[in-house]
Amino acid sequence: MSLELTFWWLLAIKLAVAAAVVPVIGMVIGYAEMKLSAHMQSRVGPYFAGGRFGWAQLIADGVKFIQKEDIIPEEADRPVFKWAPALVMLGTMALLVIVPVHPSPRYGIVRDLEVGIFYALAISSVSTIGVLMAGWSSANKYSMIGGLRAAGQLIAYELPLVLATVGVVIQAGTMSMQGIVSAQVAQGWPFLLTQFIGFAIFMIATLAELTRLPFDMPIAESELVMGYVTEYSGFRFLFFFLAEFANMFSMSVIAATLFLGGYGLWGINPETLFSPIILFAKVGILIFLMIWLRWTLPRLREDQLQTLAWKWLIPIAIVNIIATAVLKVVL
Amino acid sequence: MTASPSESTVSEAADALEEFADRVAAAVGGRAEVAHGTVKVRVAPSAWKEALTVTSGDLGLVFLSWLSATDWTNEVAVGDEPDEPVEERYELLCAVSDLSDGNLAIISTDLDHDSPSIPSVADVYPGANWHEREAAEMFGIDFVGHPDLTKLYLPDSFEGYPLRKDFPLLSREVKPWPGKVDVEDMPENGGGPSTENPGA
Amino acid sequence: MQGTFAHHLSEAAVSVELETEGMTLNIGPQHPSTHGVLRLVATVDGERATNVRPVIGYMHRGYEKLSEVRTYPQIITIINRIDWVSGFANEVPFVVAAERLMGVEAPPRAQWIRLVLTEMARISSHLVFMASYPLELGAATPLFFALRERERVLDLLESVTGGRFHPNFNRLGGVKPVYAAGPVTKKAGMDIPSGFLAETRDAMTKVLATCDEIENLVAGNEVFLARTKDVGIMPADIAASYGVSGPNLRASGVGFDLRKVSDYLPYGDFDFDVPVGRNGDCWDRWWVRLEEIRQSCRIITQAIDGLPSSPLQAKVPRIIKVPAGETYVRAENPKGEMGYHLVSMGGLGPYRLKIRSASFSNLSILPWILEEALVPDFIAIMGSLDFVLGDVDR
Repeated sequence: MSLELTFWWLLAIKLAVAAAVVPVIGMVIGYAEMKLSAHMQSRVGPYFAGGRFGWAQLIADGVKFIQKEDIIPEEADRPVFKWAPALVMLGTMALLVIVPVHPSPRYGIVRDLEVGIFYALAISSVSTIGVLMAGWSSANKYSMIGGLRAAGQLIAYELPLVLATVGVVIQAGTMSMQGIVSAQVAQGWPFLLTQFIGFAIFMIATLAELTRLPFDMPIAESELVMGYVTEYSGFRFLFFFLAEFANMFSMSVIAATLFLGGYGLWGINPETLFSPIILFAKVGILIFLMIWLRWTLPRLREDQLQTLAWKWLIPIAIVNIIATAVLKVVL
Repeated sequence: MTASPSESTVSEAADALEEFADRVAAAVGGRAEVAHGTVKVRVAPSAWKEALTVTSGDLGLVFLSWLSATDWTNEVAVGDEPDEPVEERYELLCAVSDLSDGNLAIISTDLDHDSPSIPSVADVYPGANWHEREAAEMFGIDFVGHPDLTKLYLPDSFEGYPLRKDFPLLSREVKPWPGKVDVEDMPENGGGPSTENPGA
Repeated sequence: MQGTFAHHLSEAAVSVELETEGMTLNIGPQHPSTHGVLRLVATVDGERATNVRPVIGYMHRGYEKLSEVRTYPQIITIINRIDWVSGFANEVPFVVAAERLMGVEAPPRAQWIRLVLTEMARISSHLVFMASYPLELGAATPLFFALRERERVLDLLESVTGGRFHPNFNRLGGVKPVYAAGPVTKKAGMDIPSGFLAETRDAMTKVLATCDEIENLVAGNEVFLARTKDVGIMPADIAASYGVSGPNLRASGVGFDLRKVSDYLPYGDFDFDVPVGRNGDCWDRWWVRLEEIRQSCRIITQAIDGLPSSPLQAKVPRIIKVPAGETYVRAENPKGEMGYHLVSMGGLGPYRLKIRSASFSNLSILPWILEEALVPDFIAIMGSLDFVLGDVDR
């Protein structure tokens, strides 16, 4: 790492990488989901595209989506309808800015913000607005119900998500992502050991934020056809599709950073190039978990979802914060 | 009841059926007919609703199987004409059953062929609601007091009553159904397709 | 402008309570979970329905009218298509009705084959339910387990009848003689295919194993339980008065099964239980169907162990004319009571054929059961009634 670049050049390159990550990650996770779900269901999954294992299936799908006609309903609120997918994608991309893959302050992260985790949780809400816009502007009752459900659900689960991270912040004493990782590396064990309740709540809330099963009521294809994406086609649909997988990735990265020690692993020097590999392995495990749940569980009902958030997750998270704070002071 | 029942079980079953038919007929004030294992009780149109109220109540025939009609007429547009002249009428049928012994009775009444009309029993058996709507659009029977006697299957603009015998099947008007009299000989008499297994 | 604003203001002052208006939501006729072309016109207040009106008839094919211009053997082809998920089971009550008018009884072996294939149709129909119901609630995986077994059963049906969905296998007075392997001469060698019995026994073991697998996968799932328990409760008396029959009625606690009380097929020779639910909710309807698959496997295993030998066809005239008369024969089909009211005037075809199909009555309870239901429960309730639109519209 002897190459010295000016700050702005480096930032531009890092932003370009972060932007390129979205489609690549979308394809990798999309392919993994296809194959894993297939094998969980005694199927083969993608098989022919690309010659072996159907590895090029998602590339072919991408090409197909781009070729499709971009249909906008006549009654739709056109600018809102057009910008909604972009806004969803914006929130997803902005999240990647604070992902630390290596301890090096220059190369390991796009921007190490002092309020890193705060920024992450705030920016992840931006996609909620995009979803609401999509649902409202489609001029479709199914879309509107889907959008409203999404709004209710995302607001309800934003709270446990935030509260679950507070325990980690208290323990680490910083909100910076790099700081949280180095706190774990320094102490030699991940916060999962003390914050397992927080981790469980964080993962459940993450599933709800991602609107994946068992919390996929905003999409609920057997009820609402396709929820807020019903009217989208072609490239704009692809945006939602990629954003879902990219969101899965970035939320998993945040979970891995907060609870699993990020790029640190006991006994391995984090200053080496193994660090990103370690991080991605942890992220892979979390993504596998999400895919597994997705293909196992049925969907909850809207009221059951709200009950779970308000009556269970939030109180437990608050108790967890109090316990953490008290123990921090006492110990 | 087995594949080859002995004589005694058959007659016992027939006796039980007769007994059931008489019981229903006495309760609803109708005339019982038992044929081919089916109990039919004929009542007067004026006693129709009363009869079904009794079956759903005291008789314990709480299960509504179906309600429909038959168009008895001597001039038919499709199908076979009756061999012997019949009295022109609509026969309204309602099959009700209990939920223990499987006794089923068809309550039947005759409606005037020119302007068939009968009180609705949708408040006695809620399930009759749809059956009556079907009978109304198919036969043109007016069910007085039905909550929503709109068309069930057919488009709202449809005219005519398709299951009436004088309602023609247009495709059959244009070209008679060739399969109606299927006189192809059986294979062993030298006609029809070969008996050889084509795959062999 | 000012006037209207003041007007609005005064109106707002009068009606302190916020006035809301229900939204009309059209579900179907093209919708992922209406099993065909059912349309529901629902008035919803938020997620709760205030009024639901089912609209049917998109698949009305007029079989009752068509039957009046067809001969009896031709009608067997038509009525296969009523409930296409269990085509074979549709044929049996019709041929039994015609046989009763003719005074003919099918030979024992033919009756037993009818019975075995009817139960196979029941298994395949219930397996479709086992596949589609969790899918409607969002769980995609049981679909593949159930459809894999259904394929096994359909293969067996096909090996005997030549058809997977529309067997057209029953004949008045028996079943279609099947050409066993190799060339046949006249009537010798006409029977079920060789190896069928062994394959059936093997398949039943596998179906039973899959039933356990599905039960593990679905019944122990907290989310599935939360979605189905105490949802769409149907009291027995309401169900009966709407004519709801079959597994839906048994789930409401009525142990009524036509196989036990009627003699259209020799079920009296077999040992099987009638599963009965307790609450009449969606969960019970799911459980009753799973249990019925197991009971059907029991019946089939018994039947192939003791298959009597006899010809497959009773003596009937070449061109069949059914003597004048009328009868109603009903059968316990996978979806419920299916029956044919056959009126003959002695011709080549019926004078009138009333088809009583199970799904029609099962569906007619929808306005009652969906009232005040949540939109997500619509799907749970409709799916649990397990209807087929062909069976509704006929």
